[in-house]
Amino acid sequence: MGTYIAAINEMLAKEIAELPHAVFYGENIDTGSRISGLARNFKAADSSLLINAGDCEYTHCGVGFGMMLNGATAVLFVKQLDFMLLGMDHFVSTYQAIRAHRDFSTLGSFTIIVVSYDQGYQGPQSSFNALGDMCSMARVPGYTLTNIQDSAYIIRTQLRQPGFRFISLSQRHSPKELLQVDLVCVDKNASVFQYTEGSRATVACFNFSMPEGMLLHKKLLERGLSSSVFSVNNVFPRDWSAILRSVARTGHLVVLDDSKSINLLGYTLLHEAAEAVPGSQRIIVTREAEVDFGVCPDSFEIDYDALASWLLGRTSKRPAVA
Amino acid sequence: MNTRETIARQALELEMIRLRHWQHIMNEDLKKKLFQIPIHVAFGSEAIAVSVSNVMTGNDQLVLTHRNMAYNLARAGALKPVYEEYKLSQAGVSRGRMGSMNMVNPARGVVYSSSILGNNLSVACGLALAKRVNGDPGVVIVTTGDGAMEEGGFYEALVFAKSQRLKLMIIVENNNHSMSSTIEQRRCNIAIDRMCQAVDVRYTFLSSNDVFEYVLALSQFRAETVEQARPVCVEARLALMNQHAGPTPGWPTDPMNVDIKNGLVVREASEDPLYVLRETMGEHAFRDVADQVASERWN
Repeated sequence: MGTYIAAINEMLAKEIAELPHAVFYGENIDTGSRISGLARNFKAADSSLLINAGDCEYTHCGVGFGMMLNGATAVLFVKQLDFMLLGMDHFVSTYQAIRAHRDFSTLGSFTIIVVSYDQGYQGPQSSFNALGDMCSMARVPGYTLTNIQDSAYIIRTQLRQPGFRFISLSQRHSPKELLQVDLVCVDKNASVFQYTEGSRATVACFNFSMPEGMLLHKKLLERGLSSSVFSVNNVFPRDWSAILRSVARTGHLVVLDDSKSINLLGYTLLHEAAEAVPGSQRIIVTREAEVDFGVCPDSFEIDYDALASWLLGRTSKRPAVA
Repeated sequence: MNTRETIARQALELEMIRLRHWQHIMNEDLKKKLFQIPIHVAFGSEAIAVSVSNVMTGNDQLVLTHRNMAYNLARAGALKPVYEEYKLSQAGVSRGRMGSMNMVNPARGVVYSSSILGNNLSVACGLALAKRVNGDPGVVIVTTGDGAMEEGGFYEALVFAKSQRLKLMIIVENNNHSMSSTIEQRRCNIAIDRMCQAVDVRYTFLSSNDVFEYVLALSQFRAETVEQARPVCVEARLALMNQHAGPTPGWPTDPMNVDIKNGLVVREASEDPLYVLRETMGEHAFRDVADQVASERWN
């Protein structure tokens, strides 16, 4: 299958070649490294355009919404999520004004495919890793690609959907193999993907933490504990019923959220689980809250042994992982 | 002048005077504070609004700013649907959903209006790019102002539109104000002609407030953007009567004391397009049309 970035690029190239009356654009998408391989070998259909655009991110975002207004398909490729801070006005204000009066089904499609720099050591300005915060401010959906199943499903279904969304890739997963997993189920809005079914723990993974969730699942299996692993996207309205049903069965919820934010969506799931399943045991694993502002690691460390001990009830003390 | 030209001139005269009169009607309700939403009247921008509306053809689209009253009235060709929108009524031109600053009228080509300065320029580029990819022959016309063009989005839009060969007409309404500050009070001079020259975008400057001249100039520029597939930029000098964001016309702080009971307000200077029109038509003919408009039932 190849690396995460190569495999996703292959899926994108196939989808893009089949989209008519579309514009695919972004900086360096048709020259040089093609955004480190993300946009390699793209060929647009005869009625579509592939545009190697200049450095004007604010305008790129407005252009996408203008195209959407006129029923066309626009896909913008972006090297780093922090570049998209320049487009927040359009995500929040422009899209709000469009949604206020237009029948959704008459809109074209606008997708931003962007890499989140979640691996650290890229400099202070590259430490923005909070897709969920952007989605929340603008009330727009955001999907993270973490494995072969969600990547294929989201790319196949979302690039043709009316309206706007983010699809984000992880820089830290880029050099690794794309994770091969089986899919148990996915809801119709692609807000929640389920990959395993277990009886002892429910593991809900936010942002790009799904591979860590699968590793936790494996380590728990080694200790004789089965778990249900979900990955959760920033989709509103959300349907978390499958996760809550699982928590009701397992009695234990582990939330993994590797976003760099103090407003994690994972906290909302903890709250909803507390209300829906009183008496359930819940824990969240996040990044360090107090991170250095300078060049630093952006690591997401999980003490799997401590989590396993907590789930086995060998310690009543919550592990110091959150 | 042949018959067709005479009819066309008379239609423009009627539109200009109606536009001023309709703004008076809404201004009276504004003085009485009958609207829940902020409303920006545009006494003084009739010539550019009427001429833009007149040069638009079937597939053209118009993208506006928060101060869109004159354009929306000109495109709607009626006061009631715009007035009802200000009242947030279902009968409004945007079904009461958009209010004043984001008012749209897709059936008449007004597809997007933005209350964020400079925001609409890139959206207009996207509309024009969609036309290109869909093989739509229409032009996108976008308005901005001497304040909004200070935003980086103005320069970005020029570059993007030129690079992508977009059929886009940018209208810069230069009324010398951003909120309450004049250009001199807030920034250095910006030579828009030279900005356009730097990126090889055709530019023209309109300042006569003569609607007949404006229609001709905009028609030529529209033809140029279609034939050459390149953006054009028009800077139009205009003077709003309430100093842009000054007192609501007719409020106690308004030095002009604008009141519909006194008939159409006309500033005795060439910066007022209605003054220019009256000079062209003659006092008597102007008053006849104004009387006719005043007697029309609008609601």
